[in-house]
Amino acid sequence: MQQTKALNRTPELTFPKVGFLTSEQWIVGSHVLTGLMALLFGIFLGPFQVFRRAPALKWAIPVFSYYYQALTVHGVMNALFFTTFFIVGFSYFTVMRSLKRNMWSTKLVWAAYVLMLVGMLLVVYALVTNQANVLYTFYPSLIAHPAFYLGLVLLVVGTWLVTANLFLTYSLWRRENLQEHLPLAVFATLTNFVLWCVASLGVAIEVLFMLLPLSLGLISHTDPQAGRALFWFFGHPLVYFWLLPAYTSWYAMLPKQANSRIFSDPLARVAFILLMIFSIPVGVHHMFTDPGVSAVMKGIQTVFTFVVAIPSLLTAFNVGAMLERAGRNRGAKGLFDWMWKQDWRNPVIAAQISAMILFITGGISGIMNASLTLNIALHNTSWIPAHFHQTLGGAVTLTFMGICYWLIPMIRGRGLYSVKVALWQVHTWSIGMMIFGYTYGAAGLIGVPRRTDLGAAPYINELAVPYLNASVIGGVLLLISGILFFVNILGTLFLSKTPLTEEAPIDTYVESKSPLWMEKWGLWLSIVAILCVIAWAPVFLEVVDFTNGFQTPGYNPNGGIYKP
Amino acid sequence: MHIDRLERYWIIAVGVVLGAFGAAIVASVVVFGVRLPSPVGRIDPAKIKESEFATPGLTQDGDHAYTLRIVAKMWKFDVGTKEPQPTIKIPAGSRLKILATSLDVTHGFYVEQHDVNVMLLPGQISQVDVTFNKPGVFHIICHEYCGPGHQAMVASIEVNEGN
Repeated sequence: MQQTKALNRTPELTFPKVGFLTSEQWIVGSHVLTGLMALLFGIFLGPFQVFRRAPALKWAIPVFSYYYQALTVHGVMNALFFTTFFIVGFSYFTVMRSLKRNMWSTKLVWAAYVLMLVGMLLVVYALVTNQANVLYTFYPSLIAHPAFYLGLVLLVVGTWLVTANLFLTYSLWRRENLQEHLPLAVFATLTNFVLWCVASLGVAIEVLFMLLPLSLGLISHTDPQAGRALFWFFGHPLVYFWLLPAYTSWYAMLPKQANSRIFSDPLARVAFILLMIFSIPVGVHHMFTDPGVSAVMKGIQTVFTFVVAIPSLLTAFNVGAMLERAGRNRGAKGLFDWMWKQDWRNPVIAAQISAMILFITGGISGIMNASLTLNIALHNTSWIPAHFHQTLGGAVTLTFMGICYWLIPMIRGRGLYSVKVALWQVHTWSIGMMIFGYTYGAAGLIGVPRRTDLGAAPYINELAVPYLNASVIGGVLLLISGILFFVNILGTLFLSKTPLTEEAPIDTYVESKSPLWMEKWGLWLSIVAILCVIAWAPVFLEVVDFTNGFQTPGYNPNGGIYKP
Repeated sequence: MHIDRLERYWIIAVGVVLGAFGAAIVASVVVFGVRLPSPVGRIDPAKIKESEFATPGLTQDGDHAYTLRIVAKMWKFDVGTKEPQPTIKIPAGSRLKILATSLDVTHGFYVEQHDVNVMLLPGQISQVDVTFNKPGVFHIICHEYCGPGHQAMVASIEVNEGN
């Protein structure tokens, strides 16, 4: 099944020479490894929050006065920097390999990388010096050090350069291959960066016109409701920006890894188009309990949120059918036995299938969150972190870890350090996330709030105590899993002696019957613009106070009015 | 564009299920009367002292009908008393109109075991109407991060039998 083909790559990394910056190895490797460094910084703070919130264990971390600082680092590093760097690196890889060409401009690749890296360093500076305890949603009127916002601006501007580079590469290819079908992986990558660019306008306006000037002392007031609307214009498509690369891997790479083939290429593209369009007009479902947004707009965006569930349910069928074919190729005969007749001893496959399993609860809990009135029982309870640790922490991160298990060996030119460690990592991760999801979901329904240092709280909800204590098991498993992951990555980078045997799962599948009109980017952008007018314009008209302007001063997260 | 027969059935099933969920939401609003927080007005945080929130706390409007005005601030629910974690006492069966706002940053307002879940934002007034039938003590919890004292930002509603 696996082609053992000697790859034309030296096993040792040679000393950087002129031109090294152009190689795929360096382009992809530097982005992915920078993302993993962000993950290394953020990931281990997660389990300690679980321990701190469990009544049985809070004594174990008695002077954990850094709860909110740690929570901010955990969110910002994992959700903003790990994801973005990893996705950019993975997207470069996908586009260069599938189109069999270099990026439009290698200089632009590195310019964008430097911008994003400087952005990350600025944010890290603000975080470790305790000047940006505003969590990864940084709602005004809490105001952080300017370095925090400046870092975010650089990150976003960097991704805009990445988008330009990806689209220019694609248009060069298109000009030379007028009748070719665009490989699905590239199509998916492009839809992802379209939705990212549209979405990031919201956060760019929020940071550039509300937060950064206030942080610098150029203006003195802000508006929390308007800030939340701008943030969530960005915040929901953001979760799809994380998810689409995972879908890309499931649709376009997993078939090759699992010795199967995609079930329906056209419907996969339809799914990506729907995700690109309908991830934008849905962000108000994060604001169902906000006082400044009318119930009518909340209802309208509920409908759109249900529409954006459709492409994910299409994906469930499409990817499921592909896996059924893989199981049948391995000898499955019955109705369901293809589910476990998969190559579970391959960590790349095990990670991705486990990610899909976690996404079942992640997706269902997401539909519950989006269900307008039901949201009153869930909003800002620990149900919410339970949900997004099945989606972002489960489906996305575990898929990215699975990708790392072939991508890191590929960029290093050596085999994976240990398959056994990788398998243990995958299973501890999925069981840990399931336990975390179940216990935190249940505690949330009982009324335990999210993002709260319960270990120091003067109240306790007795009904939730068993769940919070049980969540420690999940935390321990995830801690172990995180350690195993980084042991394997570092082992692959520095210790592995085995040669590289597997080829990268490149998607060059072109027998697609997909119509070429699917690449009408202008049409899709026009539809997005129309939906924005329908779904978002009335919200912004409601939340912005046109007569009085901004009336709320900025506040220091540690108390008192913010002083620049 | 070719769509496989089974996949077509799947798409129809997805539509039916999502439609049923949508119908359930409509029923929750129309039949069961669940209401989401909606705009009731703005307030300049600098002028809270000159507004109806100048004297927060419980006022009785009629038999078993009260209005509770709350000003959330770092890190306390101000109901006009000095205690850091105040308690509001009402008889069982009380209809409470809660009006709340924030003086400084984003806060949350969540009452255990009741359909009260609303954000408190400076500049906005939040309103929730709720009836307390079951006797007991229910925490009002700030469920949005608001600084290092956030976890201590809690109040209680004590619902007493009889009266």
